[in-house]
Amino acid sequence: MNMKKPLALLLAAGMTLGLAACGGTQGSTESPAAGGETGGSNTGSTVELSLWAFNIGGFTEASNWDSLIAAFNEANPGINVTVTPINYQDGDQKLTTAISSNNAPDIIFEGPERIVGNYARNGLMVDLGDLWTSGGSDIAEGISSVSQLDGTYYMYPLSVAAHCMAINYEAFEAAGALQYLDEENRTWTTDNFVKAMEAVRDAIADGTIAVKVPGIIYCGAQGGDQGTRALVNNLYSDYYVNEDGTSYLANSENNVKALTLLQDMVNNGSMSANASFAAADELQAFANQTAAVTFCWNYSNYTQYAEQTQFTPFAMAFPSDDGVPELEMAGPYGFGIFDNGDEAKIEAAKKFIQFVCDDQTAGVEAVKTTGFFPVHSSWGDVYAGAEDAELRAPFALMSDYLGRYYNLTGGWTEQRALWWPMLAAIMTTGADVQTEADNFVQQANANIG
Amino acid sequence: MAQNTVAAPAQTKPKKQKPSQFSGMSKALVRRETISAYLFLLPSLIFFVSFVVVPMFICVVYSFLEYDLSGVRGFAGLDNYIKLFQDPVFHRGFLNTVLIVVVAVPTVAAFSLWVSSAIYKMHPLPRSFFRCVFYLPVVTGSVAITVVWKWILHPYYGLLNQVAGTGTFDWLGNQHTAIWFIILILFTTSIGQPIVLYVAALGNVDQSLVEAAQVDGATKLQVFWKIKWPQIMPTTLYVLVITTINSFQCFALIQLLTKGGPLNSTMTIMYQVYDTAYRLNDLGYANAIGVVLAIIIAIFSAVQFKLAKTE
Amino acid sequence: MKAKTTDLSGTSTGYKVFAAVVLVLLAIFFLFPLYWIVTGSFKNVIEINANYPIWFPQNPTLENYATLFERPAFKWLFNIIFISAAAMVLTCLTAALAGYALGKKRFYGRAVLFTIIICAMALPKQVIVIPLLQEMTFFHMNDNLWAVILPTVGWPFGVFLMKQFSETIPNEILEAARVDGAGELRTFFSVVFPMIKPGIGALAIFTFVNTWNDYFLQLVMLTRDKNWTLPLAIANLQGEMSTDFGLIMAGAALAAIPIVVVFIAFQKYFTQGIAMGAVKG
Repeated sequence: MNMKKPLALLLAAGMTLGLAACGGTQGSTESPAAGGETGGSNTGSTVELSLWAFNIGGFTEASNWDSLIAAFNEANPGINVTVTPINYQDGDQKLTTAISSNNAPDIIFEGPERIVGNYARNGLMVDLGDLWTSGGSDIAEGISSVSQLDGTYYMYPLSVAAHCMAINYEAFEAAGALQYLDEENRTWTTDNFVKAMEAVRDAIADGTIAVKVPGIIYCGAQGGDQGTRALVNNLYSDYYVNEDGTSYLANSENNVKALTLLQDMVNNGSMSANASFAAADELQAFANQTAAVTFCWNYSNYTQYAEQTQFTPFAMAFPSDDGVPELEMAGPYGFGIFDNGDEAKIEAAKKFIQFVCDDQTAGVEAVKTTGFFPVHSSWGDVYAGAEDAELRAPFALMSDYLGRYYNLTGGWTEQRALWWPMLAAIMTTGADVQTEADNFVQQANANIG
Repeated sequence: MAQNTVAAPAQTKPKKQKPSQFSGMSKALVRRETISAYLFLLPSLIFFVSFVVVPMFICVVYSFLEYDLSGVRGFAGLDNYIKLFQDPVFHRGFLNTVLIVVVAVPTVAAFSLWVSSAIYKMHPLPRSFFRCVFYLPVVTGSVAITVVWKWILHPYYGLLNQVAGTGTFDWLGNQHTAIWFIILILFTTSIGQPIVLYVAALGNVDQSLVEAAQVDGATKLQVFWKIKWPQIMPTTLYVLVITTINSFQCFALIQLLTKGGPLNSTMTIMYQVYDTAYRLNDLGYANAIGVVLAIIIAIFSAVQFKLAKTE
Repeated sequence: MKAKTTDLSGTSTGYKVFAAVVLVLLAIFFLFPLYWIVTGSFKNVIEINANYPIWFPQNPTLENYATLFERPAFKWLFNIIFISAAAMVLTCLTAALAGYALGKKRFYGRAVLFTIIICAMALPKQVIVIPLLQEMTFFHMNDNLWAVILPTVGWPFGVFLMKQFSETIPNEILEAARVDGAGELRTFFSVVFPMIKPGIGALAIFTFVNTWNDYFLQLVMLTRDKNWTLPLAIANLQGEMSTDFGLIMAGAALAAIPIVVVFIAFQKYFTQGIAMGAVKG
């Protein structure tokens, strides 16, 4: 078979030519299709930075970056920042794509869960210690501790809030369920939560209210897991991970009790569960008055759905047996820098982060856009006197209930992929709670080290 | 390979193909033909090699590496492949893939053959109407079709529950029903092309043979099996192959409807490649699954070719 | 639908009625998704989320389209047309040349090459996506429309199809051209090309539709919203907005209608082309 040799040669030649030809194609045709994201950073005096921003609060509207960047460019003429908005549905895929093809963005706007827990753990992020030294003195310990991994800072935060839930106030009122909640503190006990949901269920059954189900436990993957986590953990005041971060706790006595309670509620119709639903579906169902509560609420979602809602979404803490909720921190949202090996870019990126997070004019603007609260305690109440101060008050209140932050536990990404099937099995197929929870913990702990 | 190259000149005799391909050609002519052939092939080969062959080769290499977001961590040997055989998700994905192929492919082939034989003798107008209608889901586009089905199947706003009176049943959230809807939608987007093919093939069946058989008193069924079926065999083979490829590759459906869930009940090998790479960031393992998928597809296609030929 | 009944004589009337009824029901079933897309795109929020069937929009609204066009929807439409058209032209060109060589030339490596091509045809792109993305970075084509076009052109189905067509060209004609002293290229363009033109037409249609529908490549290759394609945008809107089905249906309609119109207009060539490709196979 001496024909194989020339063939191999030709294949090789074709390949080389292919590379050359395509390199050429790119040069001549790129301009209409794509900007120079990867364009040389050091040519001339302009440093090109790409910022990938998750859709956090007002930044869901990508144009809200424009004024911020314009202000930055004015102050730093040598740096040009391009924003690429990404969302929680496929943001992970986009980032993995970019990272695995050596094309990671320079800056990412997200929370510690990804920046520290995933990317820094994989050695992809730049040490931001100098930013903390110069501007981080008035940032609370709880926030600074989650911005670091093994003593090194990888994230610099902008704003913070708490994840909570919300109820359809009018529906609860009509169902006579308001009696079960502490409207002033926005808390409720587990017993009262059960009673309230049953009241809503009965009101639906006799046609008093138009919603279709009391609440929906969404079990479809990707995003919003904080809601279902906090719901389960608070019902009987337990935690998601043990204190020293060495084991997940879904199979603890209290968490199993909580999961069993929810399963019972699903069975008796005071709760619903959908394995095809992601958090976004559940939120939309809440906004459409299909469900009377949502487990995925914060100021950001409030603003995003405000236009659509024909009712009063009333923010509530998660129900807890002792009436003292422990909420999961939303964020702190901030920035990380991917180590692309280009010093000039890293320096420029740090300048940008400092500008957005530490410059009080730009920073307050940015914080307000996220709709959350500044991490700099010295900035005080940035919303004081604002028109919507009243609307924000409940969300500020939630910050008082902030609990332990466990999202940096090892194997976090993997356990998220396991959490949903566990919920789906328990809530939609009636599987045995203890078995499923044990199974979850066993698999999740396998990646913890 | 090296062995082959050395041995080849010594034993040209068993190569049956060689004399037939180059018979009656001078050495110079063969050389000239070879050069010009490769020049004709060159533009296509550049793309094919750059964007299919080279990535496939790299993919095989990656499958032997320990490779995640932080880069290549080391040589994994056969670990990724061993993991595969112990991975319950892969087992589930394998079974689902087989289920989809085994259900969808014969159904599509049989159904499109039935529709085609019902319409191929019609007046051209209704014939092209029906051909068009069945082809419509293909041109409408997989994403558009998928999102409208997502709406139809939605537990609270979906048409299916409203019409069937099934309350708020979560068709895509139920591990027993989800995969059947995936197969149904796959079916609707798959039969367009086979129908076009069969209508053409049936129209080309040699009428004189059919008439001769009828004169001999053959029944309709006999005419079909004895005369038409053998003649449309190449079309059937082609239909089987393209439908199999389609079934193996259905991505938009799963990505947009179920993401492999609930409880992996719609996980396919192909989707697991994507999920492992992009959600779990285990790139080495993802490539190993990909390599195994490629092998499975090759075997499937080979078996189909064999079956079709022996029949 | 009156069939010419000459040789349907063996078939009972009962069966014919049954077949006709089933066909019509199926036709409705197959037409329905498109109908639901188009009518859904004109429904307002209340009708979209109603809990009883609304077969036709009661208060037709353009709201969904207005929302859609707040985003760069025309750019998305342009992008998908550009990608599909570019892939179509490049595929037809390269595949016609290569298919002719494989079908009509006898050369070293032919059998091996053909086998590789057959094998690669069934290979899902998902398998090779990670190396493919790295290649795109190497070529500085990340988040670029060409990153979708080039791998599509690399898919060897077109070569296979054109080989099948080229094989039907009688050798005598090629021989005659050679005797007349025509060079290789002239033979190709003046003799071969006209003969495989229908095949190229089929391939063109095929590639255009398949590229349009190749959601996966668009998903992994394109990031920024100005580079999205319409199908990708619909999928992404669904991710962002969840069940705002009115908006999603507006996007789906915008993506589907142009290609459906083209399909109906060129229906004859479409079906002929597809049929020809296979009959030869």
